[in-house]
Amino acid sequence: MIRAQVAAGGAGQVAARPRFSAIACLSWACTLLAVACLFGMLALFAWQSVPIWEKEGLSYLAGKQWFYRNEIFGMLPMVYGSLAVAAIALVLAAPVGLGAAVGISEYLPNSLRLGAKVGIELLAGVPSVVYGLLGILFLRNWLYEGLDYFEPLSGDMLLTGGILLAVMVLPTIVTLGDDALRAVPFVHRQAARGLGLTRGETILHVALPQARGGLIAAVLLGLGRAMGETIAVFLVIGRQDNQWPERLWSLQPVIEAGQTLTTKLGGSEINIAYGTTLHWAAMVGLGLVLMLVVGLLTWLGAWLSRRKEPDAA
Amino acid sequence: MRILTVLFALGFTAVALRAEALKINGSTTVNLPVAEAAEDLRAEKEMEIQVDTQGGSSGGISSAGEGRVQIGMISKPLADEDKAKYPDANLTATQIGEDAVAIVVSPDVWESGVHAISKEQAQGIYESRIKNWKELGGEDRRIVFFNKEPGRGTWEVFANWAYGDHKKAPPASFPEVGGNEETRNKVSSTRGAMSQLSSSWADGSQVYALAIKEGDEIIEATPANIAGHKYAMSRPLNLVTRGEPGGQAKVFVDYMLSEPGQKLMVKHGYLSMAMLKADAEPAP
Repeated sequence: MIRAQVAAGGAGQVAARPRFSAIACLSWACTLLAVACLFGMLALFAWQSVPIWEKEGLSYLAGKQWFYRNEIFGMLPMVYGSLAVAAIALVLAAPVGLGAAVGISEYLPNSLRLGAKVGIELLAGVPSVVYGLLGILFLRNWLYEGLDYFEPLSGDMLLTGGILLAVMVLPTIVTLGDDALRAVPFVHRQAARGLGLTRGETILHVALPQARGGLIAAVLLGLGRAMGETIAVFLVIGRQDNQWPERLWSLQPVIEAGQTLTTKLGGSEINIAYGTTLHWAAMVGLGLVLMLVVGLLTWLGAWLSRRKEPDAA
Repeated sequence: MRILTVLFALGFTAVALRAEALKINGSTTVNLPVAEAAEDLRAEKEMEIQVDTQGGSSGGISSAGEGRVQIGMISKPLADEDKAKYPDANLTATQIGEDAVAIVVSPDVWESGVHAISKEQAQGIYESRIKNWKELGGEDRRIVFFNKEPGRGTWEVFANWAYGDHKKAPPASFPEVGGNEETRNKVSSTRGAMSQLSSSWADGSQVYALAIKEGDEIIEATPANIAGHKYAMSRPLNLVTRGEPGGQAKVFVDYMLSEPGQKLMVKHGYLSMAMLKADAEPAP
Protein backbone atom coordinates (compact mmCIF):
# COMPACT_ATOMS: atom_id res chain seq x y z
CA MET A 1 0.00 0.00 0.00
CA ILE A 2 2.72 2.43 0.96
CA ARG A 3 4.68 1.39 -2.06
CA ALA A 4 1.69 2.03 -4.25
CA GLN A 5 1.35 5.54 -2.86
CA VAL A 6 4.99 6.26 -3.36
CA ALA A 7 4.70 5.10 -6.88
CA ALA A 8 1.65 7.24 -7.45
CA GLY A 9 3.35 10.23 -5.85
CA GLY A 10 6.00 10.37 -8.50
CA ALA A 11 9.69 9.72 -8.45
CA GLY A 12 10.93 12.94 -6.86
CA GLN A 13 8.99 12.72 -3.60
CA VAL A 14 10.16 10.69 -0.67
CA ALA A 15 6.75 9.76 0.74
CA ALA A 16 3.65 11.07 -0.90
CA ARG A 17 0.65 11.56 1.35
CA PRO A 18 -2.68 9.98 0.63
CA ARG A 19 -4.83 12.35 -1.33
CA PHE A 20 -7.89 12.12 0.89
CA SER A 21 -6.99 11.79 4.52
CA ALA A 22 -9.74 11.70 7.09
CA ILE A 23 -8.40 14.82 8.76
CA ALA A 24 -8.38 16.77 5.54
CA CYS A 25 -11.94 15.72 4.75
CA LEU A 26 -13.14 16.61 8.22
CA SER A 27 -11.49 20.00 8.26
CA TRP A 28 -12.86 20.78 4.82
CA ALA A 29 -16.30 19.79 6.00
CA CYS A 30 -15.99 22.03 9.05
CA THR A 31 -14.75 24.93 6.98
CA LEU A 32 -17.59 24.54 4.52
CA LEU A 33 -20.10 24.29 7.34
CA ALA A 34 -18.81 27.50 8.93
CA VAL A 35 -18.97 29.35 5.63
CA ALA A 36 -22.37 27.85 4.86
CA CYS A 37 -23.64 29.07 8.24
CA LEU A 38 -22.68 32.63 7.38
CA PHE A 39 -24.19 32.61 3.92
CA GLY A 40 -27.14 30.55 5.09
CA MET A 41 -27.92 33.17 7.71
CA LEU A 42 -27.58 36.01 5.24
CA ALA A 43 -29.79 34.20 2.76
CA LEU A 44 -32.36 33.37 5.43
CA PHE A 45 -32.49 36.97 6.65
CA ALA A 46 -32.68 38.32 3.11
CA TRP A 47 -35.43 35.88 2.21
CA GLN A 48 -37.48 36.54 5.37
CA SER A 49 -37.26 40.29 4.93
CA VAL A 50 -38.40 40.31 1.29
CA PRO A 51 -41.94 41.59 2.06
CA ILE A 52 -40.67 44.78 3.69
CA TRP A 53 -38.29 45.59 0.83
CA GLU A 54 -41.12 45.01 -1.61
CA LYS A 55 -43.56 47.25 0.23
CA GLU A 56 -41.35 50.05 1.52
CA GLY A 57 -38.36 49.85 -0.77
CA LEU A 58 -35.79 52.50 -0.02
CA SER A 59 -38.03 54.31 2.44
CA TYR A 60 -37.47 51.33 4.75
CA LEU A 61 -33.82 52.43 4.92
CA ALA A 62 -34.42 56.18 4.77
CA GLY A 63 -37.74 56.51 6.63
CA LYS A 64 -37.65 58.43 9.89
CA GLN A 65 -40.74 56.91 11.48
CA TRP A 66 -41.47 53.49 12.95
CA PHE A 67 -45.04 52.84 14.10
CA TYR A 68 -45.59 49.14 13.71
CA ARG A 69 -49.31 49.24 14.40
CA ASN A 70 -49.78 51.68 11.51
CA GLU A 71 -47.40 49.59 9.41
CA ILE A 72 -44.93 52.43 9.08
CA PHE A 73 -41.39 51.09 9.12
CA GLY A 74 -38.42 53.40 8.74
CA MET A 75 -35.11 52.49 10.31
CA LEU A 76 -33.12 55.70 9.93
CA PRO A 77 -33.40 56.82 13.58
CA MET A 78 -32.08 53.43 14.68
CA VAL A 79 -29.20 53.59 12.23
CA TYR A 80 -28.48 57.06 13.58
CA GLY A 81 -28.64 55.74 17.14
CA SER A 82 -26.24 52.89 16.35
CA LEU A 83 -23.78 55.19 14.61
CA ALA A 84 -24.01 57.91 17.28
CA VAL A 85 -23.43 55.51 20.14
CA ALA A 86 -20.55 53.79 18.33
CA ALA A 87 -19.02 57.16 17.44
CA ILE A 88 -19.14 58.34 21.06
CA ALA A 89 -17.57 55.06 22.13
CA LEU A 90 -14.74 55.40 19.60
CA VAL A 91 -14.04 59.07 20.32
CA LEU A 92 -13.49 58.06 23.94
CA ALA A 93 -11.93 54.64 23.53
CA ALA A 94 -9.67 55.09 20.50
CA PRO A 95 -7.23 57.64 22.00
CA VAL A 96 -7.15 55.87 25.35
CA GLY A 97 -6.87 52.45 23.74
CA LEU A 98 -4.16 53.37 21.27
CA GLY A 99 -2.29 55.29 23.97
CA ALA A 100 -2.42 52.24 26.21
CA ALA A 101 -1.26 50.05 23.31
CA VAL A 102 1.78 52.30 22.78
CA GLY A 103 2.53 52.29 26.49
CA ILE A 104 2.25 48.53 26.79
CA SER A 105 4.15 47.68 23.65
CA GLU A 106 6.89 50.34 23.71
CA TYR A 107 7.53 51.26 27.31
CA LEU A 108 6.68 48.35 29.57
CA PRO A 109 9.30 45.68 30.20
CA ASN A 110 8.24 42.28 28.90
CA SER A 111 7.25 40.81 32.25
CA LEU A 112 4.93 43.69 33.10
CA ARG A 113 3.66 43.89 29.53
CA LEU A 114 2.05 40.47 29.71
CA GLY A 115 0.47 41.23 33.07
CA ALA A 116 -1.00 44.52 31.84
CA LYS A 117 -2.28 42.89 28.68
CA VAL A 118 -3.94 40.03 30.50
CA GLY A 119 -5.53 42.52 32.88
CA ILE A 120 -7.00 44.53 30.04
CA GLU A 121 -8.11 41.42 28.20
CA LEU A 122 -9.96 40.30 31.31
CA LEU A 123 -12.17 43.34 30.77
CA ALA A 124 -13.25 41.73 27.52
CA GLY A 125 -14.33 38.59 29.38
CA VAL A 126 -16.84 40.39 31.62
CA PRO A 127 -20.34 39.48 30.37
CA SER A 128 -22.09 42.43 28.80
CA VAL A 129 -25.10 42.18 31.10
CA VAL A 130 -22.73 42.98 33.98
CA TYR A 131 -21.68 46.14 32.19
CA GLY A 132 -25.35 46.90 31.70
CA LEU A 133 -26.10 46.52 35.39
CA LEU A 134 -23.13 48.69 36.33
CA GLY A 135 -24.46 51.23 33.86
CA ILE A 136 -27.93 51.17 35.35
CA LEU A 137 -26.69 51.29 38.94
CA PHE A 138 -24.00 53.95 38.61
CA LEU A 139 -23.29 55.50 35.22
CA ARG A 140 -26.91 56.42 34.48
CA ASN A 141 -27.28 58.26 37.76
CA TRP A 142 -23.87 59.93 37.65
CA LEU A 143 -24.58 61.37 34.22
CA TYR A 144 -28.12 62.35 35.17
CA GLU A 145 -26.87 64.32 38.18
CA GLY A 146 -23.64 65.50 36.56
CA LEU A 147 -25.30 66.93 33.46
CA ASP A 148 -28.09 68.54 35.46
CA TYR A 149 -27.20 71.91 33.94
CA PHE A 150 -28.23 70.67 30.50
CA GLU A 151 -31.49 69.30 31.91
CA PRO A 152 -31.51 65.78 30.50
CA LEU A 153 -34.94 64.17 30.81
CA SER A 154 -33.47 61.13 32.57
CA GLY A 155 -30.26 59.11 32.78
CA ASP A 156 -31.23 57.23 29.63
CA MET A 157 -29.13 58.91 26.95
CA LEU A 158 -27.13 58.06 23.86
CA LEU A 159 -24.17 59.40 25.83
CA THR A 160 -24.67 56.83 28.61
CA GLY A 161 -24.70 54.02 26.07
CA GLY A 162 -21.63 55.47 24.32
CA ILE A 163 -19.56 55.73 27.49
CA LEU A 164 -20.50 52.22 28.54
CA LEU A 165 -19.52 50.92 25.10
CA ALA A 166 -16.22 52.79 25.27
CA VAL A 167 -15.23 50.70 28.28
CA MET A 168 -16.38 47.56 26.51
CA VAL A 169 -14.44 48.10 23.27
CA LEU A 170 -11.29 49.28 25.05
CA PRO A 171 -9.78 45.78 25.39
CA THR A 172 -10.28 45.08 21.68
CA ILE A 173 -8.46 48.26 20.71
CA VAL A 174 -5.64 47.88 23.24
CA THR A 175 -4.84 44.27 22.52
CA LEU A 176 -5.05 44.52 18.73
CA GLY A 177 -3.14 47.81 18.79
CA ASP A 178 -0.41 46.22 20.85
CA ASP A 179 -0.21 43.31 18.42
CA ALA A 180 0.10 45.72 15.50
CA LEU A 181 2.92 47.63 17.15
CA ARG A 182 4.72 44.43 18.14
CA ALA A 183 4.61 43.31 14.51
CA VAL A 184 6.95 46.16 13.57
CA PRO A 185 10.42 44.53 13.46
CA PHE A 186 12.58 45.41 16.43
CA VAL A 187 15.59 46.12 14.22
CA HIS A 188 13.79 49.10 12.72
CA ARG A 189 13.59 50.65 16.15
CA GLN A 190 17.24 49.82 16.80
CA ALA A 191 18.21 51.45 13.54
CA ALA A 192 16.23 54.57 14.41
CA ARG A 193 17.83 54.78 17.85
CA GLY A 194 21.20 54.25 16.22
CA LEU A 195 20.54 57.26 14.03
CA GLY A 196 20.07 59.34 17.13
CA LEU A 197 16.29 59.48 17.41
CA THR A 198 14.90 59.58 20.91
CA ARG A 199 12.55 56.87 22.09
CA GLY A 200 9.54 59.13 21.57
CA GLU A 201 10.67 60.05 18.06
CA THR A 202 11.20 56.39 17.24
CA ILE A 203 7.64 55.60 18.24
CA LEU A 204 6.24 58.60 16.40
CA HIS A 205 8.22 58.25 13.16
CA VAL A 206 9.00 54.53 12.94
CA ALA A 207 6.68 52.31 14.94
CA LEU A 208 3.39 54.16 14.51
CA PRO A 209 3.61 54.77 10.74
CA GLN A 210 4.51 51.16 10.08
CA ALA A 211 1.75 49.85 12.32
CA ARG A 212 -0.80 52.25 10.87
CA GLY A 213 -2.85 49.60 9.05
CA GLY A 214 -3.04 47.40 12.11
CA LEU A 215 -3.97 50.30 14.35
CA ILE A 216 -6.80 51.36 12.05
CA ALA A 217 -7.92 47.75 12.00
CA ALA A 218 -7.95 47.69 15.80
CA VAL A 219 -10.22 50.71 15.86
CA LEU A 220 -12.48 49.31 13.14
CA LEU A 221 -12.86 45.99 14.91
CA GLY A 222 -13.68 47.94 18.07
CA LEU A 223 -16.30 49.82 16.06
CA GLY A 224 -17.76 46.53 14.87
CA ARG A 225 -18.01 45.33 18.45
CA ALA A 226 -19.67 48.58 19.48
CA MET A 227 -22.23 48.36 16.70
CA GLY A 228 -23.13 44.78 17.57
CA GLU A 229 -23.35 45.08 21.35
CA THR A 230 -26.88 44.71 22.69
CA ILE A 231 -27.66 44.05 26.32
CA ALA A 232 -25.49 46.66 28.00
CA VAL A 233 -26.71 49.41 25.68
CA PHE A 234 -30.26 48.10 25.96
CA LEU A 235 -30.37 48.88 29.67
CA VAL A 236 -29.15 52.47 29.53
CA ILE A 237 -30.16 53.97 26.19
CA GLY A 238 -33.88 54.39 26.83
CA ARG A 239 -35.07 52.52 23.71
CA GLN A 240 -37.08 55.51 22.49
CA ASP A 241 -38.25 55.19 18.91
CA ASN A 242 -38.33 57.91 16.27
CA GLN A 243 -35.57 60.02 17.74
CA TRP A 244 -34.37 61.69 14.58
CA PRO A 245 -32.44 64.85 15.47
CA GLU A 246 -33.75 68.08 14.01
CA ARG A 247 -30.23 69.36 13.57
CA LEU A 248 -27.93 66.51 12.68
CA TRP A 249 -24.77 67.96 14.16
CA SER A 250 -26.25 69.40 17.31
CA LEU A 251 -25.13 67.76 20.54
CA GLN A 252 -28.61 67.87 22.06
CA PRO A 253 -29.62 64.35 20.87
CA VAL A 254 -26.62 62.94 22.71
CA ILE A 255 -28.26 63.67 26.06
CA GLU A 256 -31.61 62.30 24.93
CA ALA A 257 -32.88 58.74 24.86
CA GLY A 258 -32.67 56.80 21.62
CA GLN A 259 -32.80 53.43 19.98
CA THR A 260 -30.19 51.40 18.12
CA LEU A 261 -30.64 48.53 15.68
CA THR A 262 -29.57 46.06 18.35
CA THR A 263 -31.73 47.40 21.17
CA LYS A 264 -34.78 47.30 18.88
CA LEU A 265 -34.06 43.66 18.11
CA GLY A 266 -33.39 42.87 21.76
CA GLY A 267 -36.73 44.23 22.95
CA SER A 268 -40.13 42.65 23.32
CA GLU A 269 -41.37 43.83 19.93
CA ILE A 270 -39.94 40.79 18.17
CA ASN A 271 -42.54 38.67 19.99
CA ILE A 272 -45.37 40.86 18.73
CA ALA A 273 -43.94 40.80 15.23
CA TYR A 274 -43.99 37.02 15.09
CA GLY A 275 -46.81 35.81 12.88
CA THR A 276 -47.35 39.19 11.20
CA THR A 277 -45.68 38.97 7.80
CA LEU A 278 -44.77 42.61 7.25
CA HIS A 279 -43.79 43.44 10.83
CA TRP A 280 -41.70 40.29 11.07
CA ALA A 281 -40.00 41.11 7.78
CA ALA A 282 -39.25 44.61 9.06
CA MET A 283 -37.62 43.24 12.23
CA VAL A 284 -35.60 40.64 10.31
CA GLY A 285 -34.54 43.36 7.87
CA LEU A 286 -33.01 45.27 10.79
CA GLY A 287 -30.97 42.17 11.55
CA LEU A 288 -29.86 41.94 7.94
CA VAL A 289 -28.72 45.56 7.83
CA LEU A 290 -26.92 45.17 11.15
CA MET A 291 -25.16 42.03 9.96
CA LEU A 292 -24.06 43.68 6.74
CA VAL A 293 -22.74 46.80 8.49
CA VAL A 294 -20.85 44.89 11.17
CA GLY A 295 -19.62 42.39 8.60
CA LEU A 296 -18.33 45.18 6.40
CA LEU A 297 -16.49 46.81 9.30
CA THR A 298 -14.94 43.53 10.39
CA TRP A 299 -13.89 42.70 6.85
CA LEU A 300 -12.38 46.16 6.40
CA GLY A 301 -10.53 45.77 9.69
CA ALA A 302 -9.19 42.35 8.76
CA TRP A 303 -8.17 43.57 5.31
CA LEU A 304 -6.33 46.58 6.68
CA SER A 305 -4.49 44.59 9.29
CA ARG A 306 -3.32 42.04 6.72
CA ARG A 307 -2.44 44.49 4.00
CA LYS A 308 1.27 44.78 3.31
CA GLU A 309 2.48 48.16 4.43
CA PRO A 310 4.61 50.00 1.90
CA ASP A 311 8.13 50.27 3.26
CA ALA A 312 8.55 53.39 5.32
CA ALA A 313 10.73 55.81 3.42
CA MET B 1 -30.04 25.73 2.12
CA ARG B 2 -32.04 22.54 2.56
CA ILE B 3 -29.05 20.73 4.04
CA LEU B 4 -28.65 23.60 6.45
CA THR B 5 -32.27 23.34 7.50
CA VAL B 6 -31.88 19.62 8.09
CA LEU B 7 -28.75 20.20 10.14
CA PHE B 8 -30.49 22.84 12.23
CA ALA B 9 -33.47 20.54 12.73
CA LEU B 10 -31.16 17.71 13.82
CA GLY B 11 -29.44 20.05 16.22
CA PHE B 12 -32.69 21.15 17.78
CA THR B 13 -33.95 17.57 18.07
CA ALA B 14 -30.74 16.58 19.80
CA VAL B 15 -31.19 19.43 22.26
CA ALA B 16 -34.83 18.56 22.80
CA LEU B 17 -34.04 14.90 23.41
CA ARG B 18 -31.31 15.68 25.85
CA ALA B 19 -33.14 18.29 27.84
CA GLU B 20 -35.38 16.80 30.45
CA ALA B 21 -35.46 20.06 32.34
CA LEU B 22 -38.76 21.83 32.76
CA LYS B 23 -38.38 25.18 31.03
CA ILE B 24 -40.42 28.22 32.03
CA ASN B 25 -40.26 31.71 30.50
CA GLY B 26 -42.17 34.98 30.50
CA SER B 27 -43.40 37.82 32.70
CA THR B 28 -41.12 39.27 35.38
CA THR B 29 -44.21 39.76 37.55
CA VAL B 30 -45.12 36.08 37.62
CA ASN B 31 -41.44 35.15 37.82
CA LEU B 32 -41.03 35.95 41.53
CA PRO B 33 -43.29 33.27 43.05
CA VAL B 34 -42.55 30.86 40.20
CA ALA B 35 -38.80 31.09 40.69
CA GLU B 36 -39.20 30.43 44.38
CA ALA B 37 -41.53 27.50 43.73
CA ALA B 38 -38.95 26.13 41.30
CA GLU B 39 -36.39 26.22 44.10
CA ASP B 40 -38.76 24.32 46.39
CA LEU B 41 -39.42 21.67 43.76
CA ARG B 42 -35.74 21.30 42.97
CA ALA B 43 -35.09 20.57 46.62
CA GLU B 44 -38.15 18.43 47.31
CA LYS B 45 -38.57 16.45 44.10
CA GLU B 46 -35.14 16.93 42.52
CA MET B 47 -36.77 18.34 39.43
CA GLU B 48 -34.62 20.18 36.96
CA ILE B 49 -36.26 23.53 36.26
CA GLN B 50 -35.04 26.56 34.32
CA VAL B 51 -36.90 29.84 34.77
CA ASP B 52 -36.24 32.75 32.45
CA THR B 53 -37.80 36.17 31.78
CA GLN B 54 -37.05 36.83 28.12
CA GLY B 55 -39.49 39.27 26.52
CA GLY B 56 -42.08 39.46 29.31
CA SER B 57 -45.60 38.15 28.74
CA SER B 58 -45.39 38.15 24.95
CA GLY B 59 -42.11 36.26 25.31
CA GLY B 60 -43.93 33.76 27.51
CA ILE B 61 -46.67 33.30 24.92
CA SER B 62 -44.32 32.97 21.97
CA SER B 63 -41.91 30.58 23.69
CA ALA B 64 -44.78 28.37 24.86
CA GLY B 65 -46.51 28.68 21.50
CA GLU B 66 -43.41 27.60 19.63
CA GLY B 67 -42.75 24.81 22.11
CA ARG B 68 -39.43 26.20 23.32
CA VAL B 69 -40.67 26.02 26.91
CA GLN B 70 -43.33 23.91 28.58
CA ILE B 71 -44.79 26.76 30.63
CA GLY B 72 -45.18 30.43 29.69
CA MET B 73 -45.74 33.02 32.43
CA ILE B 74 -48.11 35.87 31.54
CA SER B 75 -49.34 38.76 33.66
CA LYS B 76 -52.50 39.41 31.64
CA PRO B 77 -55.47 37.45 30.35
CA LEU B 78 -54.69 35.03 27.51
CA ALA B 79 -56.37 36.78 24.57
CA ASP B 80 -57.93 35.15 21.53
CA GLU B 81 -55.40 36.87 19.31
CA ASP B 82 -52.59 35.27 21.33
CA LYS B 83 -54.09 31.84 20.74
CA ALA B 84 -54.71 32.61 17.07
CA LYS B 85 -51.00 33.22 16.53
CA TYR B 86 -50.23 29.61 17.43
CA PRO B 87 -53.21 27.65 16.14
CA ASP B 88 -51.49 24.28 16.55
CA ALA B 89 -50.38 24.87 20.12
CA ASN B 90 -53.85 24.94 21.73
CA LEU B 91 -52.54 27.39 24.35
CA THR B 92 -54.31 27.01 27.67
CA ALA B 93 -54.09 29.38 30.63
CA THR B 94 -54.23 28.35 34.27
CA GLN B 95 -54.74 31.25 36.65
CA ILE B 96 -52.57 31.07 39.76
CA GLY B 97 -53.33 34.46 41.30
CA GLU B 98 -54.34 38.06 40.75
CA ASP B 99 -52.43 41.32 40.62
CA ALA B 100 -52.98 44.86 39.43
CA VAL B 101 -51.13 47.35 37.28
CA ALA B 102 -50.38 50.57 39.08
CA ILE B 103 -49.33 53.91 37.67
CA VAL B 104 -46.28 54.69 39.72
CA VAL B 105 -44.42 57.96 40.24
CA SER B 106 -41.08 58.96 41.69
CA PRO B 107 -40.91 60.13 45.35
CA ASP B 108 -40.63 63.85 44.43
CA VAL B 109 -43.90 63.71 42.48
CA TRP B 110 -45.65 61.95 45.34
CA GLU B 111 -44.34 64.46 47.86
CA SER B 112 -45.48 67.37 45.72
CA GLY B 113 -49.05 66.19 46.29
CA VAL B 114 -49.97 64.09 43.23
CA HIS B 115 -51.70 61.03 44.68
CA ALA B 116 -54.29 60.11 42.06
CA ILE B 117 -54.80 60.15 38.31
CA SER B 118 -57.88 59.92 36.11
CA LYS B 119 -58.20 58.00 32.87
CA GLU B 120 -58.39 61.27 30.91
CA GLN B 121 -55.19 62.52 32.51
CA ALA B 122 -53.44 59.24 31.73
CA GLN B 123 -54.54 59.56 28.10
CA GLY B 124 -53.31 63.15 28.04
CA ILE B 125 -49.87 62.10 29.22
CA TYR B 126 -49.76 59.16 26.83
CA GLU B 127 -50.63 61.49 23.94
CA SER B 128 -48.10 64.12 25.08
CA ARG B 129 -50.84 66.72 25.60
CA ILE B 130 -50.09 66.90 29.32
CA LYS B 131 -46.40 67.45 29.90
CA ASN B 132 -46.19 69.06 33.32
CA TRP B 133 -47.11 67.79 36.78
CA LYS B 134 -48.69 71.22 37.43
CA GLU B 135 -51.72 70.03 35.48
CA LEU B 136 -52.22 67.18 37.93
CA GLY B 137 -51.91 69.45 40.94
CA GLY B 138 -48.21 68.94 41.54
CA GLU B 139 -45.15 71.13 41.26
CA ASP B 140 -44.00 72.82 38.07
CA ARG B 141 -41.93 69.92 36.75
CA ARG B 142 -41.69 68.04 33.46
CA ILE B 143 -43.39 64.68 33.29
CA VAL B 144 -40.84 62.01 32.40
CA PHE B 145 -42.97 59.12 31.18
CA PHE B 146 -41.28 55.74 30.86
CA ASN B 147 -43.58 53.62 28.73
CA LYS B 148 -43.64 49.88 29.36
CA GLU B 149 -42.62 48.12 26.16
CA PRO B 150 -45.57 47.05 24.06
CA GLY B 151 -45.59 43.27 24.36
CA ARG B 152 -45.38 43.44 28.13
CA GLY B 153 -48.47 42.27 30.00
CA THR B 154 -48.37 45.44 32.10
CA TRP B 155 -48.51 47.65 29.00
CA GLU B 156 -51.42 45.71 27.54
CA VAL B 157 -53.46 45.94 30.75
CA PHE B 158 -52.74 49.68 30.96
CA ALA B 159 -53.64 50.31 27.31
CA ASN B 160 -56.83 48.25 27.60
CA TRP B 161 -57.85 50.43 30.51
CA ALA B 162 -56.91 53.77 28.98
CA TYR B 163 -58.26 53.14 25.49
CA GLY B 164 -60.74 50.30 25.87
CA ASP B 165 -58.60 48.12 23.62
CA HIS B 166 -54.81 48.13 23.47
CA LYS B 167 -54.99 48.10 19.68
CA LYS B 168 -56.66 51.50 19.81
CA ALA B 169 -53.82 53.08 21.77
CA PRO B 170 -52.33 55.86 19.65
CA PRO B 171 -48.77 55.55 18.40
CA ALA B 172 -46.37 57.02 20.92
CA SER B 173 -42.61 57.27 21.27
CA PHE B 174 -41.31 57.43 24.83
CA PRO B 175 -38.25 56.02 26.51
CA GLU B 176 -39.24 52.42 27.12
CA VAL B 177 -38.71 50.13 30.08
CA GLY B 178 -38.95 46.36 30.23
CA GLY B 179 -38.88 44.26 33.38
CA ASN B 180 -40.18 45.32 36.79
CA GLU B 181 -36.71 45.82 38.31
CA GLU B 182 -35.70 48.13 35.48
CA THR B 183 -38.93 50.10 35.73
CA ARG B 184 -38.71 50.63 39.47
CA ASN B 185 -35.04 51.55 39.32
CA LYS B 186 -35.49 54.11 36.57
CA VAL B 187 -38.62 55.73 38.00
CA SER B 188 -37.15 56.04 41.48
CA SER B 189 -33.92 57.61 40.21
CA THR B 190 -35.52 60.17 37.89
CA ARG B 191 -37.22 63.36 39.02
CA GLY B 192 -40.76 63.78 37.70
CA ALA B 193 -40.91 60.18 36.52
CA MET B 194 -43.96 58.02 35.91
CA SER B 195 -44.52 54.53 34.53
CA GLN B 196 -46.77 51.48 34.61
CA LEU B 197 -45.76 48.81 37.09
CA SER B 198 -47.12 45.78 38.91
CA SER B 199 -48.82 47.22 42.00
CA SER B 200 -47.04 44.79 44.31
CA TRP B 201 -43.75 46.36 43.21
CA ALA B 202 -44.91 49.83 44.24
CA ASP B 203 -43.23 49.76 47.61
CA GLY B 204 -44.10 53.26 48.79
CA SER B 205 -40.46 54.23 49.33
CA GLN B 206 -38.70 53.95 45.97
CA VAL B 207 -41.84 54.41 43.90
CA TYR B 208 -45.43 55.29 44.81
CA ALA B 209 -48.66 53.98 43.28
CA LEU B 210 -51.22 56.59 42.24
CA ALA B 211 -54.86 55.88 42.97
CA ILE B 212 -57.32 55.96 40.09
CA LYS B 213 -59.79 58.84 40.03
CA GLU B 214 -63.22 57.92 38.69
CA GLY B 215 -65.42 60.98 38.91
CA ASP B 216 -65.26 62.00 42.57
CA GLU B 217 -64.24 58.56 43.71
CA ILE B 218 -60.63 57.70 44.47
CA ILE B 219 -59.90 53.99 44.08
CA GLU B 220 -56.70 52.52 45.45
CA ALA B 221 -55.21 49.20 44.46
CA THR B 222 -56.08 47.49 47.75
CA PRO B 223 -56.52 43.71 47.83
CA ALA B 224 -60.29 44.10 48.21
CA ASN B 225 -60.53 46.50 45.27
CA ILE B 226 -58.35 44.25 43.11
CA ALA B 227 -60.26 41.07 43.98
CA GLY B 228 -63.61 42.75 43.33
CA HIS B 229 -62.27 44.30 40.10
CA LYS B 230 -63.31 47.69 41.42
CA TYR B 231 -59.76 48.77 40.69
CA ALA B 232 -59.92 48.86 36.91
CA MET B 233 -56.44 47.56 36.10
CA SER B 234 -56.73 44.24 37.94
CA ARG B 235 -55.27 41.35 36.03
CA PRO B 236 -54.93 37.59 36.33
CA LEU B 237 -51.49 35.98 36.64
CA ASN B 238 -51.46 32.94 34.39
CA LEU B 239 -49.35 29.94 33.51
CA VAL B 240 -49.75 29.04 29.85
CA THR B 241 -49.26 25.51 28.54
CA ARG B 242 -49.81 23.72 25.25
CA GLY B 243 -53.11 22.05 25.96
CA GLU B 244 -53.95 21.06 29.52
CA PRO B 245 -50.76 20.85 31.60
CA GLY B 246 -49.25 17.36 31.61
CA GLY B 247 -46.14 15.61 32.89
CA GLN B 248 -43.65 17.83 34.70
CA ALA B 249 -45.62 20.92 33.74
CA LYS B 250 -48.64 19.50 35.56
CA VAL B 251 -46.55 18.82 38.66
CA PHE B 252 -45.44 22.44 38.59
CA VAL B 253 -48.85 23.98 37.94
CA ASP B 254 -50.39 21.81 40.67
CA TYR B 255 -47.70 22.97 43.07
CA MET B 256 -48.48 26.62 42.30
CA LEU B 257 -52.15 25.96 43.03
CA SER B 258 -51.42 24.00 46.22
CA GLU B 259 -51.16 25.67 49.62
CA PRO B 260 -47.38 26.29 49.64
CA GLY B 261 -47.58 27.66 46.08
CA GLN B 262 -50.45 29.98 46.92
CA LYS B 263 -48.57 31.18 50.00
CA LEU B 264 -45.76 32.26 47.69
CA MET B 265 -48.23 34.39 45.71
CA VAL B 266 -49.26 36.21 48.88
CA LYS B 267 -45.65 36.53 50.03
CA HIS B 268 -44.82 38.45 46.86
CA GLY B 269 -47.76 40.79 47.24
CA TYR B 270 -50.24 39.13 44.90
CA LEU B 271 -53.70 37.77 45.62
CA SER B 272 -54.11 34.01 46.04
CA MET B 273 -56.99 32.24 44.32
CA ALA B 274 -58.77 31.84 47.67
CA MET B 275 -58.53 35.58 48.39
CA LEU B 276 -59.81 36.29 44.91
CA LYS B 277 -62.88 34.09 45.37
CA ALA B 278 -63.61 35.21 48.92
CA ASP B 279 -63.45 38.92 48.14
CA ALA B 280 -64.88 38.83 44.67
CA GLU B 281 -68.22 40.47 44.25
CA PRO B 282 -70.35 39.38 41.36
CA ALA B 283 -69.05 41.12 38.27
CA PRO B 284 -71.29 43.98 37.14
